[in-house]
Amino acid sequence: MLVDGIRAHRWWLVGAGIGLIALSLAPLFLMPFHVRVVQQILFSAGLAVAWTILGGFAGYWSFGNTAFIGLGAFAAGLLETNIAIDSPTLAFVLATLFGCAVCAAVAALLAYPILRLRGIYFAIAMLGVSQVLGELTNNIDAFKGSLGIILPKLAPAAMEPQVFYYYLFLVAAAGTLLVGFLVKVGRIGYGLLAIREDEDTARMLGVPTERYKIGMFVVSATLTGLLGIIYAHSLGYITSGSVYRTDFSLNMIVYSLLGGIGTLAGPILGSFLMVVLTQVVLGRLLDIHMFITGALLVAMVMLAPRGLLGFAENLVRRRGAGLRTVEP
Amino acid sequence: MNAAPAEPILRVVGVTKRFRGLVAVNDVTFDVPAGSICGLIGPNGAGKSSLFNLITGYYAPSAGEIRFDGRRIDGLDTYRIAQMGIARAFQIAKPFPELSVLDNVRIGALFGHAGARNVAAVTAAALELTGLASLADRPALGLTVGDLRRLELARAIAARPRLLAADEPCAGLNPTETEGVVDILRQIRAAGVTVLLVEHDMPAVMRVSDTIFVVDAGRKIAEGPPEQVARDPRVIAAYLGTPAEDAPAA
Ligand SMILES: Nc1ncnc2c1ncn2[C@@H]1O[C@H](COP(=O)(O)OP(=O)(O)OP(=O)(O)O)[C@@H](O)[C@H]1O
Ligand SMILES: [Mg+2]
Repeated sequence: MLVDGIRAHRWWLVGAGIGLIALSLAPLFLMPFHVRVVQQILFSAGLAVAWTILGGFAGYWSFGNTAFIGLGAFAAGLLETNIAIDSPTLAFVLATLFGCAVCAAVAALLAYPILRLRGIYFAIAMLGVSQVLGELTNNIDAFKGSLGIILPKLAPAAMEPQVFYYYLFLVAAAGTLLVGFLVKVGRIGYGLLAIREDEDTARMLGVPTERYKIGMFVVSATLTGLLGIIYAHSLGYITSGSVYRTDFSLNMIVYSLLGGIGTLAGPILGSFLMVVLTQVVLGRLLDIHMFITGALLVAMVMLAPRGLLGFAENLVRRRGAGLRTVEP
Repeated sequence: MNAAPAEPILRVVGVTKRFRGLVAVNDVTFDVPAGSICGLIGPNGAGKSSLFNLITGYYAPSAGEIRFDGRRIDGLDTYRIAQMGIARAFQIAKPFPELSVLDNVRIGALFGHAGARNVAAVTAAALELTGLASLADRPALGLTVGDLRRLELARAIAARPRLLAADEPCAGLNPTETEGVVDILRQIRAAGVTVLLVEHDMPAVMRVSDTIFVVDAGRKIAEGPPEQVARDPRVIAAYLGTPAEDAPAA
């Protein structure tokens, strides 16, 4: 089944491969500012795709995925700054594995109670989880959330830091996309679709709904954590406020909605457009980012609930329908 | 037509389901022989759909046990029962609305009964059998009532069940469409699937069933071949609305 799915989507894979090659070469030609913009797009798209694996595919919208950015960042950072290993690279790798494992474990623990909640209740529960984790990190001294953690510098001397982090983000985003792809085109992708459409009927057809939901929540959390860990290192110094950020949680949703919910290209397209819009076009008007994001969200929900991809599909279909005879 | 003497594939033994004060299913016992078509009939609110909910694991019984193929299934999770080989077509059609007819059926084929499966072949066969092949690419959302009924059946049989529980597959259909569904049920049985059928269309259920169970107000009041059940005074009384106690003894 998975093999069939991959074969059916081989052009998609070819496209992604070409994109990956182009993005690998891009830093050679881009100015530093643009490297940072693309890096931001990679980070945002990675987050949106990770969110989509549960939110877009199964319809369980988390409003608090930044919980795993923060959790991953702090778990990794605390280990990394306390571990007695001489090689910073090795320490970083171990810390990253640890941070991802913490995210996976916390997601697995949370999954059982909160994935029984449906619709808006799950969304709110996740918002609550992210707030609670942020507060705990901020208020418990051992976590150093208010004081902050200084993370080791990882970029080799010969490389500009923004280029180094660009490649880390590229690897993480590509990995996230690959995981999303394998989930979507396989049997499990259909199971998630069934859950999104009607969970009770899905169970009636033999879809192991609990296992799938828990599994995808863990996968989504782990990938989000990985991206959070890289993000934290790219900042170099983090407090709870810099990684537990509600705007991160919301952006993942907005970008996915904008591009086309439930698809993989959608979150990428949405991230690209929004980052370019806010960073490049509105670069100097920092204060109105949130306003623009909010206004776009409202407009999208009202005008194109299936996102830009869905909107485009409708346009194509409507054209086609004009040629056809009367439909019953 | 008499039921062939066969091992029961489904045994419902003394099953009761209470909803707070209401007893929706009251100490019901029946056996469904493998390879048969059994009809489950009764007036509105008799407890037929509730029995289906119990058999498919949507509810756990308050008392009694349910055995499928000799194994107890009462209290098991719905999806486990589906994987063991019971599929259900709902009384109120529950398609996956935004998905195409093809994907609806494909999900049945991808999941359902555990074990080896040829998804493409099973999906195509189910669409063919139910006459939906030409609608494969339509979204389920805009289907007519008749097509939705057949989609329920297509998705259920794509799950390759050993027992199909069909809840009023002919509800809302005209006589021609009803005849089509009856024919589909016969073909499903011919393919080796046992069918448990709830249906209000009496002529249809009488024609197609080997055995009929009659429930009224949660209790089983009669069981037997269609011609015998049709003459049963308690059954006639239940349908005419006379209290069963007042009916003459059978
Ligand atoms: N979840 C529930 N909670 C409370 N009462 C219920 C529930 N489900 C069913 N009932 C009640 O149980 C009784 C049996 O209902 P059921 O749906 O099984 O009847 P039915 O035989 O399928 O009727 P119909 O022919 O109208 O489909 C009814 O009185 C109904 O109101
Ligand atoms: Mg009913």
